[in-house]
Amino acid sequence: MSALDDAQEEVKPDMTPMIDVVFLMIIFFICIDFKVLESKLSAYLPKDKGSQSSVVEPQEQLSVKIYVESAGTPEYAAGGSAGAVNPNTGRPFRFKLRDHRVKWEVGPKPLYNLDDVLKELKRIAADPSSQVPDKATGGKKLMACVIEAYPGTYYEDVAKTTDACAEAGFTEVNYGGGLGAK
Amino acid sequence: MDVRKLVQQNVEMDMTPMIDCVFLLMIFFVLVIDLSQKNLEDLILPRAVYQEPDDTPPENRPIINVLQNGSVVFEKQVAYDPAVHGKNFAPIKQLLLDIRQQGLNTGRLKLKEEDIGGRMVPLIDDPILIRADKWTEWHYIGEIMKQCSQPEIAFWKVELAMSEQDKETGEKNPRLTK
Repeated sequence: MSALDDAQEEVKPDMTPMIDVVFLMIIFFICIDFKVLESKLSAYLPKDKGSQSSVVEPQEQLSVKIYVESAGTPEYAAGGSAGAVNPNTGRPFRFKLRDHRVKWEVGPKPLYNLDDVLKELKRIAADPSSQVPDKATGGKKLMACVIEAYPGTYYEDVAKTTDACAEAGFTEVNYGGGLGAK
Repeated sequence: MDVRKLVQQNVEMDMTPMIDCVFLLMIFFVLVIDLSQKNLEDLILPRAVYQEPDDTPPENRPIINVLQNGSVVFEKQVAYDPAVHGKNFAPIKQLLLDIRQQGLNTGRLKLKEEDIGGRMVPLIDDPILIRADKWTEWHYIGEIMKQCSQPEIAFWKVELAMSEQDKETGEKNPRLTK
């Protein structure tokens, strides 16, 4: 065997490690895609409920009400129906809600889409009269807003409204409760 | 070279592919079987842009799941089912009392005395997470929050689970699409 033949044999690359690494990367990225990132919104509740006998001083808050305009139609996946249990999961079949519409009332103003709600919230946030005394610092702060979801509204409606409040600059968002089922 | 030597040379096994397969399986199971997810129901959470990432959740945080029909599920057990309990929300209150008591007994939850209106009030200083499907009626979530604020339960740090991506529509937050 000549020296030239030797050199030709040595340049054959071993593909095995590269293929291994490629497979590892494929599995890694497939699994990462399955994990949807979760996040959270802090909805801290009043600490003083039931602990004070004195009358609580009322706070000036912006009221954002959500009402149902159209309840919507649940659309079940194949094989599913209302009240039926999915034998694979042991839980009720999931549905998507079609044509569900809500309307809002920001302060006294009725609004019919989320963009208008955001514009109105931004206008209110920029208004100097929306500043209220801040007991903690002695200065001023933007008033809190309270989201009151009326019967028939869904978590999605409240989440989108909360997002709009946050985008407009409201840092303190409270949730009115006790409005019951539809 | 006699026949015995030849046979001995041929039985040498190449271990590399087996080790590769073992590593692949290990990575697959590590990624797929995440033990911290055992309290999580398969829900589609609403997408929110202005939220806090929940990348490092506290280990001791109780997680309450609310299904589309309003059923309240804790550690895979249905504690409240609207079809059974209707407007009787006592099972939700009992669940929260049990979580509180068990958490305090095991030291997973901590109490903090706070001066509220001149009185020292013991409050749970750890958060509780409510995970609900985006198409869950709000009043079920509102009821859990109402129960959390009762003085005998006193979970005041309530967190609402959101998602960076809507699994139903495929919409993602801008930071994920960059």
